[in-house]
Amino acid sequence: MKVLSLYQERDTIIHKVDPISKILYIIISIAIPIIMPYKTIGLVCMGVSIVLLLIAKVFKKVIPLVSFSMIILLSIIIIQGLFNDSNKTAAFRIGSIVFYKEGLLFALEICIRVINILCAFAILVLTTKPSDLIESLVRRGLSPKIGYVLSSVLQIIPQMSSTMATITDAQRSRGMETEGKLKVRIKAFVPLIGPVVMNSLINTRERAMALEVRAFNSKANKTYLNEEQNNSYNKAIKLILVILFIFVVAWRILI
Amino acid sequence: MKKSNMWSFKLSTASIVLIPAAVGINYIGKLFAGVLKLPLWLDAIGTMLASMLGGPIVGAIVGATNNIIYGLTMDPISFIYALTSIAIGLVVGIMAYKGWIKSIGRAIVVGLVVALVSAIVSTPINIVFWGGQTGNIWGDAAFASLIANHFPVWMASFLDEILVDVPDKIATVLIAYGVFKALPKKLTILYSNDNELEQL
Repeated sequence: MKVLSLYQERDTIIHKVDPISKILYIIISIAIPIIMPYKTIGLVCMGVSIVLLLIAKVFKKVIPLVSFSMIILLSIIIIQGLFNDSNKTAAFRIGSIVFYKEGLLFALEICIRVINILCAFAILVLTTKPSDLIESLVRRGLSPKIGYVLSSVLQIIPQMSSTMATITDAQRSRGMETEGKLKVRIKAFVPLIGPVVMNSLINTRERAMALEVRAFNSKANKTYLNEEQNNSYNKAIKLILVILFIFVVAWRILI
Repeated sequence: MKKSNMWSFKLSTASIVLIPAAVGINYIGKLFAGVLKLPLWLDAIGTMLASMLGGPIVGAIVGATNNIIYGLTMDPISFIYALTSIAIGLVVGIMAYKGWIKSIGRAIVVGLVVALVSAIVSTPINIVFWGGQTGNIWGDAAFASLIANHFPVWMASFLDEILVDVPDKIATVLIAYGVFKALPKKLTILYSNDNELEQL
């Protein structure tokens, strides 16, 4: 069954690290540049994330993720470079348009922060199977019902996408226009979305009954199909990350 | 028996199953808007439907789940915008409970309120992460011209967000309202919280 995820199957040590450590890494690599507001710290965290991505051999897959935000980052650079309130010193000119240093530096800060967050998340998302992630969270205490909700969303979305393709074809073969002026396209939206929405909502009734029949609401302790993977280095990684965080906070308070 | 409180958190199996379906509807709405190249996002239809059916708490959970899943599978920045989705779910749920989705006119008012709340919640997030922009061409063009005329950043960002949110949310509410009215009673009964007994 197709599951909506970005997981890349590779055999590296990053893939073997447990998901909770990766979540801890994300929190710390986002928190450290905020706690220590030196511009280079953001670059250092970004560098560490990129090195980890290279070790996990998934670096090429980060490019589509980053290019998703690239357009808006570009527009931020342009708009801040031109119009930021504290613009005084000119950096360079293109024709009669002046780009200012303060705005460009501000935009650079935003870009570094965003790319840092994206790379840290990419480590989690590209090297962890969603089912493994949800299973670790449920083992740590997340309610199994919420675990079910998250897993089923990841399965439902590909299903609905293929239904959408079928319904689009069906409606088009019955004479519905999907290209042309704005009015024509707006008129096409309701006959496309109506059947999909109705279908999925009416199916919820069936699904609820199917779950109840399989003891979804039972309060008994659930058992797991997979054995828990407890490598020794997982504890070491978590310990290192927590110590690093405390160190950074202490540095900030004392210096 | 009177209607139980709208905040009563009875997470029945029916509500749990509604959540993935609603997130799927959000996704499909966004996809269709992209395919038909409509100038709106239309990515909150499911959240609003879930609020109309199951109340504010279910709507809020749908909103949060929606952004968590987007964050894990497409765009990590979506995680923080879960706050906006939760706000939308809460507002529509509360207004639906108070009877504000009885006619098209009232539904439009709901759309306006939702747009306002969504802009208020999103603006601080936009300012911290994107310096005030939203990623929408028209909104950002307005933002650029306001900043060039020395408007304060928060005001320019707020107007940027409102410009995009008002048409988008009103359209979303109307679509959700249309679907809600057309749903069979067999389905809406599943989620209704009132313990009323009917007697002949």
